[in-house]
Amino acid sequence: MSKRFSSLCVMFAFLGLFLFLGASCAKKQVQVTEPPKAAPEVKPEQAPAPKAEGEDAAAKEARLRAEKEQQLEKQRKAFESENIYFDFDKYEIKPEAKTVLQKKAEWLLANTRYSVRIEGHCDERGTNEYNLALGERRANAAKEFLTALGVPGARISIISYGEERPAVQGANEEAWAKNRRDEFKLIY
Amino acid sequence: MRGSLLSLISVLATLFIFYPMEASARIFIDINSPFSRKFAVAIPEFRNTSPQGSSQDLGEKLSRVISNDLDLSGYFSLMDKGAFLEGNREGEALNFKNWSVIGAELLIKASYSSVGQSLEVDLKLYDVYWGRQILGKRVLGETHRHRELMHRLSNDIIRLLTGYDGITMTRLAFVGDATGNKEIYLSDYDGHNAAQLTSDKSIVLSPRWSPDGKRIIYNSYRDNKGPKLYMRDLSTGAVRTVSGRSGLNIGATWSPDGTRVALTLSEKGDSDIFLIDLNGNIVQKLTDHWAIDVSPSFSPDGSRMAFVSNRAGGTPQIYVMNISDGAVERITFESKYCTSPSWSSRNRIAFAAVSQGLLDIYTIAPDGSRMRRVTSGTGNNEDPCWSPDGRYIVFSSNRNGRYHLYLTNEGGDHQRLLTNLPGNQTAPSWAP
Repeated sequence: MSKRFSSLCVMFAFLGLFLFLGASCAKKQVQVTEPPKAAPEVKPEQAPAPKAEGEDAAAKEARLRAEKEQQLEKQRKAFESENIYFDFDKYEIKPEAKTVLQKKAEWLLANTRYSVRIEGHCDERGTNEYNLALGERRANAAKEFLTALGVPGARISIISYGEERPAVQGANEEAWAKNRRDEFKLIY
Repeated sequence: MRGSLLSLISVLATLFIFYPMEASARIFIDINSPFSRKFAVAIPEFRNTSPQGSSQDLGEKLSRVISNDLDLSGYFSLMDKGAFLEGNREGEALNFKNWSVIGAELLIKASYSSVGQSLEVDLKLYDVYWGRQILGKRVLGETHRHRELMHRLSNDIIRLLTGYDGITMTRLAFVGDATGNKEIYLSDYDGHNAAQLTSDKSIVLSPRWSPDGKRIIYNSYRDNKGPKLYMRDLSTGAVRTVSGRSGLNIGATWSPDGTRVALTLSEKGDSDIFLIDLNGNIVQKLTDHWAIDVSPSFSPDGSRMAFVSNRAGGTPQIYVMNISDGAVERITFESKYCTSPSWSSRNRIAFAAVSQGLLDIYTIAPDGSRMRRVTSGTGNNEDPCWSPDGRYIVFSSNRNGRYHLYLTNEGGDHQRLLTNLPGNQTAPSWAP
């Protein structure tokens, strides 16, 4: 819980910083664009001033949105590119996978409009049907871990691909180890 | 219309000429004996009697089909044509001495005539030792379906010599990935005439022929939401969802009467085996265990079911369940990884088990006794499926790199490559 709170604080701190930076940039731009427009004789209280201010706010907002979106895109990529891995014929979450899942849980709790699809995979050894069931267990194990950390179960779906979608080709332990995995796909 | 008329004619035109003889006087292959030996059969070139000598290359094709059929049966050894002292030319007299001296026990002499799409084949089978004809048959069919015609002749030979129908008229379904996606293909039992059946452009798995041979159930990810169970009518091509529950709907197998399907569902979180009707309604929950339960296969009378579970120690093993009282017995103990049970019409269970890091095919009695190894030392050998007569096993193996289908007898001393198609071929299902 305290971890969750501190991560929220960090998120807000970042947000504050963006707002500040965004605002200062916008002001500079206004100084450059204002003078020529200000020349014609118009009543001070009328249209131009609010319009300028409106543009100002819109630009600011757009920039902020773009920056935030850029930041989010990075976070999404990081989230989706980090798999967790399993031992042969096992679906227990290993200690290093727990760290990964904790990070994912924090992010999901901070970004509530995202759902996640967990895809369970196996290495090519064994038979499809057993591996389909094993892949589902691997996906379910990650789901249970995330829900235990407070991510609502309704935001998590699972699918098993068994041995049908290997991450890497190869008939050796190195390849097999990379294929015994859960992948995490964001849905939004 | 034309095809069916021709087929009808060909059936009517089939002439049986059985020669009366005493049982002791003719070659009889006792296929129930574990010690049967192979009979040497000589097949000289087919004589072409087509008008103006057309269709010259067809003879070689016809003879190759029948030679391959007899070889695949495991009951015959095909003699090298180079050793023959006598051919099959017009007017050439048949001298049995010329065949007995090179060790031939059976001799097949055939001629054919092809006019347009019509093909007539005349075949005679001789017992060389006794110096007499034991089968004579004339069949009429279509040239482009010549393989089917030859398979029929092969079956007649095998039935005459063993007392049982062979497998030459049967068909296979399997999964192939030549297109880049796994799809279902159908082929003749010898791997020829393979044609793609599904075009889901997704992942298609586990085809199973219905007991009447008219439908196939299979898994597909076509809706992108996991493996659902579909059924395809082979005559109309119509496809419908049989079980589209969330989670798994996998590894389905038909009940012997064809009215029910057993499969693994995981809608409630745990993967258990259920019996459903063909509309997908649950009839009975067959297994109820926290462990993985998959890959059901019914006994021929439907009273028992073999399946895979990792309930003991977390490794997959083969279990047999009494359907009426739910009593479960583990039957495999030799390997840490046993999967894919297939229950034969002769009450043997074939399965794949890991030994020394590789999967191999084994067979075992339903009570766990008399285990027998079928393959060894040749890559991974998986997905065993029995022929309808319970005498052969088709399986997939990557012994030569990619996965292809192979045929073997239960003893494993007669293994043959069936599919040499692009990509991988796996998960065979033998049509009834």
